[in-house]
Amino acid sequence: MSMPRGLRDVVDAVLHSKTGVVGLSILIAIIVLSILAIIYVPFDIAREWNNPSFWQRNPRLASPSWTNIFVGGKLPETMILSNDSFRKYSYYLETIGLKYCILETEFQYLYEDFPSELRLSLYVDTDGAFITVRWIQPNGIDITIWRGLFKRGLNTIYISRQLDVREYIRDSLKRLNLTTPSVVNPEVILFTDNSVTHSELTPVNGGYRVRVEAVSSDLYADIEAELIVYGKVYGLVGTDNNRRDLFVGLVWGAPIALAFGLIAAIATSFIQTLIGSLSAWYGRLVDEVIQRITDIYMIIPFLPILITISVIYRIDIWTLLIVVVGLSLFGGATKTARSMTFQIMTEQYIEAAASYGASRKRILFLYILPRLMPYTMANIVLSVPGYVFLEAALSVLGLGDPMMPTWGKIISDAYSGGAVVHGLWWWILLPSALIILTAISFAFIGLALDKVVNPRLRER
Amino acid sequence: MRLPLAMLRYLAKRIMLLFTTLVVAVYLTIIIANAGGLIDDILRAQLRYEITSNLARSPGWAQLTEEEQRKIISDRLQAAIQAKGLDRPFLERTFRYLIDALTLSLGRALFITSASGSKAVSDIVIERLPQTVLLFTTGTILYSLIGLLIGLYMARRPGGFFDKVFSVFAVVTQVIPPWFFGILFIMVFAYYLGITPFGGMVSVPPPKDPLIYALDVIYHMALPLFTWIFSLFGAWAYIARNLIIQIAEEDFVNTAKAKGLPDNIVMRRHVLRPSLPPIVTVISLSLIASWQGAIITETVFNWPGLGTLFYQAINSLDAPVVIGLTVIYAYLLVATVLILDLIYSILDPRIRAGRI
Repeated sequence: MSMPRGLRDVVDAVLHSKTGVVGLSILIAIIVLSILAIIYVPFDIAREWNNPSFWQRNPRLASPSWTNIFVGGKLPETMILSNDSFRKYSYYLETIGLKYCILETEFQYLYEDFPSELRLSLYVDTDGAFITVRWIQPNGIDITIWRGLFKRGLNTIYISRQLDVREYIRDSLKRLNLTTPSVVNPEVILFTDNSVTHSELTPVNGGYRVRVEAVSSDLYADIEAELIVYGKVYGLVGTDNNRRDLFVGLVWGAPIALAFGLIAAIATSFIQTLIGSLSAWYGRLVDEVIQRITDIYMIIPFLPILITISVIYRIDIWTLLIVVVGLSLFGGATKTARSMTFQIMTEQYIEAAASYGASRKRILFLYILPRLMPYTMANIVLSVPGYVFLEAALSVLGLGDPMMPTWGKIISDAYSGGAVVHGLWWWILLPSALIILTAISFAFIGLALDKVVNPRLRER
Repeated sequence: MRLPLAMLRYLAKRIMLLFTTLVVAVYLTIIIANAGGLIDDILRAQLRYEITSNLARSPGWAQLTEEEQRKIISDRLQAAIQAKGLDRPFLERTFRYLIDALTLSLGRALFITSASGSKAVSDIVIERLPQTVLLFTTGTILYSLIGLLIGLYMARRPGGFFDKVFSVFAVVTQVIPPWFFGILFIMVFAYYLGITPFGGMVSVPPPKDPLIYALDVIYHMALPLFTWIFSLFGAWAYIARNLIIQIAEEDFVNTAKAKGLPDNIVMRRHVLRPSLPPIVTVISLSLIASWQGAIITETVFNWPGLGTLFYQAINSLDAPVVIGLTVIYAYLLVATVLILDLIYSILDPRIRAGRI
């Protein structure tokens, strides 16, 4: 069996095979993505991954914006009407001692589907204010959606969720002599033309006005408002059930997955190769002991032990990495490296080196191990996907890293969040596609290398 | 069949190694679990629970003052701890636990109960074992056969169109684990096409008629089985192909061809026969990997076997079950390798001749 001469052969093999080039290009694309991730999406945002309040302004379970192209219709984007977009009038009536603050905003709604949610936040800068919120549709129908007393501080009206909001809406429609379906969500009814009865509800496009009227006995009373009309599409890859922008998770998942996979693969391959060649080179008792340990290591239930460790000690991803390496000190590569070393030992240049007085250590490290490098490289490449999926598998079992957004964690969240059974394809297919692409890129490079390492497999 | 001495010696050596493996795996688990004193705590809590619940049922217990009750409990607990050896030094304790684990006295679960109502970890685990074995032995036998056939077909014309396309398929499916295909297939076949159930082993409520019950299990088993075969037969075919191509290049094959033997006899006697032992070796390694892969595959399909039990134990933080399952997996892997060693020793003539 002729062995490849060195790393040059490895590079040549990859560049001269179709699968090798394809694999390498995918890998480079993913590496570029990781670099862009680090530059454009600051780590501060990735660190907020598990902080729900950070993602409040995103819609829940929104599909990617580009789905509009395929759906045909136009799905709404999220609109955030901040305090600046509200016009403000305020006046103080000295005769009755009341301060009036009126905030009003107008927005154009030009979509073919209803928004997913509505939320109005009011910051009240006085001890108490009586507040009325009115919703004026393009056709002039004026609906009161909330009325009541607010205390000092941030008060949020969850228009879509609050039951009292539904009551107010029904009341004002009744007063206007308009019929309403018995149970309809506010985000639907506020955007339909309620002056006619429909068989199918469609949103009315045009300018909507939202008016907040506050009355208070305090001369210095002030009020700020923010209205969020949550859409049904968001960004490049959509959001999950915690409103998190999946783009952040997917992009930051790339460097984490690559780092985890590569470090684990490099460490285990190098250690296993080194131990294998030590075993052959020093022979006798060393060989016997190492071989028996390897036999044992190859049958040990690696994953259950790893699970036990994760359950008991709740480790993060980098500790997990150390444990994984510790559990793979011996393995298949030890056996292969051993048999290759036996072959190399019979070659003449080793004999020559021994005869000019090179120490045994020198021969091992300078003359034998370099010859094993092409094999080690192939082994590294082929074992990366396994480790990337290992992290994902542990995430699916609920043992992933508690802080970092990893691809495995997103897939596992999607799986337990019902993405599969509700057809929320973007949540599960996009991270899956990335993880598969990464795995395939390494597999293709590995396929090209297989022919260097096992020359007998070369197609005749 | 007469067992030659050499073969017995080979088997004895393998059994020694496998037993050592079992002991090492189990001991490692115990050391890991007890490094933070976890097993000690669990055992103490269980002793206390048994003692208090026994005493509470005894007549006259309620008449005693709280002070007296506490004293009796702590006395009995001390005695039980001494009897169980929980006051011995760390190393000695771990050896006691090792023997307990090896004899499958795995203690009591914290939260999980078996369907029959037992809290003993061994009952819980043994109850789940048949389901796992049913799904994954069927799957493994099927994918090995399909893979072997396709491997043979590929090896007939290496470098041909089919060989090339299938090699790429094999490499791609090899790097993607079965559970991952599982998630994607559930989405396609259960959600979009609606032709398979989302998971589980029988409908709820389970059918009464045994025939319909069996059909129901097959209906639920179809998708996990398909996933298992789909994700593993490719890699398997590729390995078989490589082995067969290597052996087909040997001189004795050329000699057989040269003396004019028909192709299929050469294939059967001179190529297939010698390629069987290495194939068995590869099966045994891939089976070890796939038993463990089954943990997550079962979880994804909600198949009520060992893997799903693992998932439940993790989520309810039921440490005795997790440790017990690890012990069972060690047994399972060792038993698998042992069976394949037996087959290997029958298949490989060098063992009978005492050359290995």
